[in-house]
Parts: sequence; C-alpha cells; structure tokens
Amino acid sequence: MSAGLVVAGQEARITALRVGKWFGEVIAVNNCSLSVGSGVVGLLGANGAGKSTLFKMLAGLIEPSHGEVRVLGARLRDRVGWYRNVGFCPESDALPEWMTGREYLSLMLRLMGLDRAETTRRADAWLERFELVDAANRRLGGYSKGMRQKLKLAQALAHDPEVIFLDEPLNGMDPVSRKGAIDLVGEIGRQGKTVLVSSHILPEIEAMTDQIILMDRGRVLAEGSVAEIRDKIPEHPTTVALVSPDPRALAAFLIGREHVEGVRIDDDQRVVVRTDHAVAFYRALPGWVRDHGLAVTEILTLDDSLEAVFQYLTAR
Amino acid sequence: MSETEIIQAAPPAPLPNRSAVGWIAWFSLREMARRRRLVSLGLINLLPVLAVLMVRIWLPDKGLTAHLQLMGLSHDMFIPFLIPVVAMAVGASAIGEQIEEGTIVYTWTRPVRRSAIYLGRLLAAQGVATVLLSLSLAMCFLVMVAGNLGVISWEFLKLYLQTFLIIGLGAFAYTALFALMGTVFKKPVLPAILFAFGYEKLVAGIPARVQELSLQFHLQNLVSRPEVVPGDIPGVLATLLNQARPRDPVPSWQSVLVLVVVAALTTVLGMQLLQHKEIEK
Repeated sequence: MSAGLVVAGQEARITALRVGKWFGEVIAVNNCSLSVGSGVVGLLGANGAGKSTLFKMLAGLIEPSHGEVRVLGARLRDRVGWYRNVGFCPESDALPEWMTGREYLSLMLRLMGLDRAETTRRADAWLERFELVDAANRRLGGYSKGMRQKLKLAQALAHDPEVIFLDEPLNGMDPVSRKGAIDLVGEIGRQGKTVLVSSHILPEIEAMTDQIILMDRGRVLAEGSVAEIRDKIPEHPTTVALVSPDPRALAAFLIGREHVEGVRIDDDQRVVVRTDHAVAFYRALPGWVRDHGLAVTEILTLDDSLEAVFQYLTAR
Repeated sequence: MSETEIIQAAPPAPLPNRSAVGWIAWFSLREMARRRRLVSLGLINLLPVLAVLMVRIWLPDKGLTAHLQLMGLSHDMFIPFLIPVVAMAVGASAIGEQIEEGTIVYTWTRPVRRSAIYLGRLLAAQGVATVLLSLSLAMCFLVMVAGNLGVISWEFLKLYLQTFLIIGLGAFAYTALFALMGTVFKKPVLPAILFAFGYEKLVAGIPARVQELSLQFHLQNLVSRPEVVPGDIPGVLATLLNQARPRDPVPSWQSVLVLVVVAALTTVLGMQLLQHKEIEK
C-alpha cells in the first residue's frame, strides 16, 4: 500500500477505533475504524454518508458515542496543545463576517501561538498564495464562496501543521483555484504531512490521491488504493473493451459465454463486454482466443475507475 | 490494518490562558462593537437621558433634585429594565451565537483551552454591557449638571460613583447569567426574557426572604436611600421612593456577595458546559 493509509510498522497519525456517533435515533457514523499515516488520503462518500461527522470526531469537535479517536497519539479534545500540529478546514461556510481577511488570518495565527512578526509574514504569504491580497482588507461578509473557501484553507495550513483535515475544501472554487488547491494538497502530502481530505465528488478525490476511504451510510465500506479496492470485489460487474480486427466474429463468440452478461460493438468498433466476474473472465479469455482462433489486439478496462467502484459499493 | 501508535515525549502546551483570554476578548469586543444590535441598544439607553432632559425642561422647580433623579433612575429604570435588556442582548449571544453560526470551530481547533474561550467572550460581553450602560449614566450626568453646576457636590459625586459601581456589578452578574443561558439553550432569548421579566419581577416583588432570590432585589438593595424630610415635595417623593424599595433590606455586603457569587458560579458552570459542548454545523 502506498503513502496515506498505514502499513505495518508505519506511524499512524490518525486512528479511529470502532467509532460511532448517533444523534438521537439517527446513526451518523457506525463502527468505523481507520488508520492514516503520512500522505494524502481521500474520504469519499455521498452527502450524508457521515464524512463530516467523522471529521468532527477526529478533530475533537464532537465526542464519539462509542469507540476512540486519536490524532498524533492524543485525544485532541483533552490535550488542546496538540492543535498546534493540526489544521482543520470545516465544510461549513461560516466565517466571522465583520472581520477582514487579513484580521481573520492573523487572529488564527496568533491563537496558534505565533508572534507578531511571524504572524504578519505568514498571513502575507498565504494571502498571496491564494491571490487574496487585493481583498485582504475587505470584510469577509463581502467575500465570494470561492474566496471564503481559500481563506478557510489558508487558516488550516498557515501554521504548517503535521496533520490536516480538509472537509470538502474545493466547494465553490473556480476551476483555476481548484487546480491550484489540488496541486497544493499533493505538495503538502509529498512533504510527509498527513492530509485527510473529504469530498463527494469523485474526480476531485481522484485528482488528489489514489488512497481512499469509502464511506456510505455511516460506515467505512472499503479503504486502500482504487486498484486494491477493485481487486477485493471480483464479483463487481466490469465492462471490458476488446479491440479486434474482426469485432463481429468476436462478439458472436462471446455471447452466452460464462461470466459474460452482455456484448455490444461500440462506435469505435470495439467489442464491449459486460462481465459479472472480472477475474474469471480475464482468466478465461486467453484460452478462448487460443482455442477458437480469435483475434484480440488490445484489452481495455472501461470502468476500473473510482466512480465505478464507488457506485458498485454504494449501490442501494 | 496494522498500525503503530506514535509515542510523544512532551505534549505541546496550550496557549497561556492570559494570552488566549486577552486575544479572544479583544477580538470579541471588536466584533460585538460592530454588531447592528448595538445601535438599537444605544437608542434604548437614551431613555434615562430623555427622562432627565424632560425633568430639566418641564419640571425644573418641582423639587426633583439631582440626588432623587439619580436614585430613581438607578432604582426604577437601570436595574429593573436597562441592565437586564442590555445584558441579555450581549450576554445571550456571547457564546451561543458562535456555536449556532459554526464560527466557534476556528477557536476550538486552536491550542486554546475552552475555558479561556468562554472567559474571553464573556469578558468582552461584560465590557460592552458596562460601557453601554455607563455611557447612558454619564450622559444623564451631563444633562443634570449642564448649566447647573451647583448640583455638583461631594455627596452627589459619591452617589454617582456608587451608581456606576452598582450598574457595573449588575451588568457583570446578569451578562454572566445570560451567557450561561446562551450556552445551554439553542434559542436563549425566550428563557432569558422569562427570567428577566417573569421570574425576577415576580420574586423581587414577594416580601420577606423570597425576594432575596432575585438579582434585581440585591441591586436595588444597594441603591442609597434618600433622607425623608416630611412636609416638602422632595420629602414626599423620597417617601414614595422608599416605599417602592425592597421592604426587607439586607446588609449591602450580602447583596454584593450574592451578585459576585452568581457571576462567578454561572461563569464556572458555563466553562464546564462549553467543555462538553459539541458543534453540529
């Protein structure tokens, strides 16, 4: 397993052990366990999957109904000193509207224990990085959604924390800013810091990392790289495209074969096969080609993407 | 999945309380001073000034001395009405509003103890309430003495200072109480109104020791009593004022103690509650 999720011997910077949270009769998070080391890990799930509740528990903002969470080995709620090493960007859009961008960022840095000179230096640097210098002395009430999002990111990162929680950080950003933020998250991950980033938009997560934790209805469905997760579910229907000089003959042969659910020829004259067991299909294909004189020049897996995996795992 | 826990040598220390309280109080003070509701609170605080102005314009020779006016204002306007209203407006929102808005998340994810956050916000609210009420009292003073410097005497100044202190003490106690309500209730306005204008009025009006269960009683108990000289108009007014006072006064030190204890207890309780509070937004 690559950077992000923890392998044996690696440091676990974020751990959750069988944590659950319910509000009245509503179960927001149910028996979740995870371990995150350095690097970027994406927390993926539809709206209402329990991502934000899990984030709040990890960041010490709410107490789990059961189970235990630790960040850098500590319960943040009890040991607030550890927040010096933690950055948190909430999903909520709320900001103190009366403050200017510079005042807000400066206060956040001062409350991290930085002195005046360092606060000024870092506030200037991060305002510039997020192209907020022109708006720095304007009140936050007049900021656009994208500007607010950038400032929320800046307050989470400006004190150079070791562990960073980013809850839907790209919401409301324009495409250019989004690209910049994605690059920034990657850069921070490569510095050896831990970034747990959530989103309900698959391409966003795919762009930031291939290490993911899939959540649905309050449960962790799977964790690992997209490929690893994909391998764990061989029964997941997969669509495969076969390139052949004689697609019609190939299609005719495949119809009705074991593990083949459907066959069609697409606009590129490829034979598109829907299989109910990818591993078995891949195992059988060379034999069919050899024994029946079929011509297959290329095999493409069309839906090995995160989206396909996610849709399969969260199918209701 | 396997994992290895990090073993930390020395945990990083939280921000020193004095520094954290100072920063939070300073920024909260600026935040509260910029809120729109301060304008309406300022207008309400003009009521005693208008009352003094009316007395000066229409009742200049009716025996309503500056002493009597001042005692009447503090007893019948500041204590039963203005102090609770101002304290409610700034106190109930001091903590609760940040939790409701979700902006408290930014201070909660700093190395700052929640007790320091509570104390910083509360001190700012108490400061705003005290300044608003004191400004009103200062304006009353100016209207009373403008062109009438003869009323200024040592006794009068002493009474003024005493009134400032009573109002300040009232603002501290009520604001602490309403800040606690704002921490407990999602929508604290109704319980705060019921307390200030239901419970307080009811209990303060009950004779014997029951009235001691209200803050209003203890504040009114601290207001000086005018000397009663039977026969003249001021004497009659003083008699009326005295009759409107608590019927069973207690020693001043006892009232001060009750107000200080209420402020301290509600503050400690509020800190404890915030410690276990969870953010939903």
